[in-house]
Amino acid sequence: MRELSLHILDIIENSRRAEADLIKIKIEEKKDSNLLRIVIEDNGNGIAPEKIEKITDPFITSRTTRNVGLGLSLFKSAAESCAGDFNIESEINEGTLVIAEFKYDHIDRAPLGDITTTISNFIAASGDQVDLVYQHCYNENSFKFDSREIKAELEDLSIQSRQIIAWIREYIGENLAEIRGGEAF
Amino acid sequence: MTVKELVDQFDLEVIAGPDLQKEIDGAYIGDLLSNVMARAEKGNLWLTVQGHQNVVAVALLVELSAVILVEDFDYEENAIQKACQKGVNLLKTGKKSYDLACSFYESNI
Repeated sequence: MRELSLHILDIIENSRRAEADLIKIKIEEKKDSNLLRIVIEDNGNGIAPEKIEKITDPFITSRTTRNVGLGLSLFKSAAESCAGDFNIESEINEGTLVIAEFKYDHIDRAPLGDITTTISNFIAASGDQVDLVYQHCYNENSFKFDSREIKAELEDLSIQSRQIIAWIREYIGENLAEIRGGEAF
Repeated sequence: MTVKELVDQFDLEVIAGPDLQKEIDGAYIGDLLSNVMARAEKGNLWLTVQGHQNVVAVALLVELSAVILVEDFDYEENAIQKACQKGVNLLKTGKKSYDLACSFYESNI
């Protein structure tokens, strides 16, 4: 995938299909230590131990529509092809944790991409069922978005309604620009 | 044209050839697997520099006629094993994608 945000979307769609109702995404950009780390944690159905060992094997998939599953395999290769690391841990009925690390300045590292759209589109489609916590760190700065906090303020309005999604987009966009000190992706 | 005929005509090396009678229909060039998944079409040859097992998965998914690894890169061992099991043809060449594609074009592939 051309952007890491598309990998993130792919993973959180897995979480949603695994019936998670809370997904936590943490993105850390540590330029001083030349590291980009993406951590995604959910409280979904989890993956059995005998499956987790082979989960990044593209010929293993939980889908029934085809016999090849590439989402995690591609994310793993994306990390490993730029001197990074990939790890997945899971427990049945507890949830799944995916950690991908990239060498920040590696020439083959895909750009992070449009994470604002990834998050806001996901909430627009599934926000009523699934809560999302998104934390982004850029060197020493960070900000956190928590859909549960938004919902607490909303009373009768759905978090998936258009004006709320527009507000979320703006909120994330502004905060990202602020912690990055105006630096482009 | 079948994969077997292609191999003979363009002097390609067969690394895994479980189904060389497959018919070829066009070609696609790319190294970003997700993009190949989205854009390559059934029956295409796929010219790439990637030689790991995800390549075999993509070839299987899109029902490509063969993968051609260019510039003398090598396939990983588990990719070759999977290709034999799953019926995916793996070829290789020392040429660059562009040069190979040009010769394919001249032969109306």
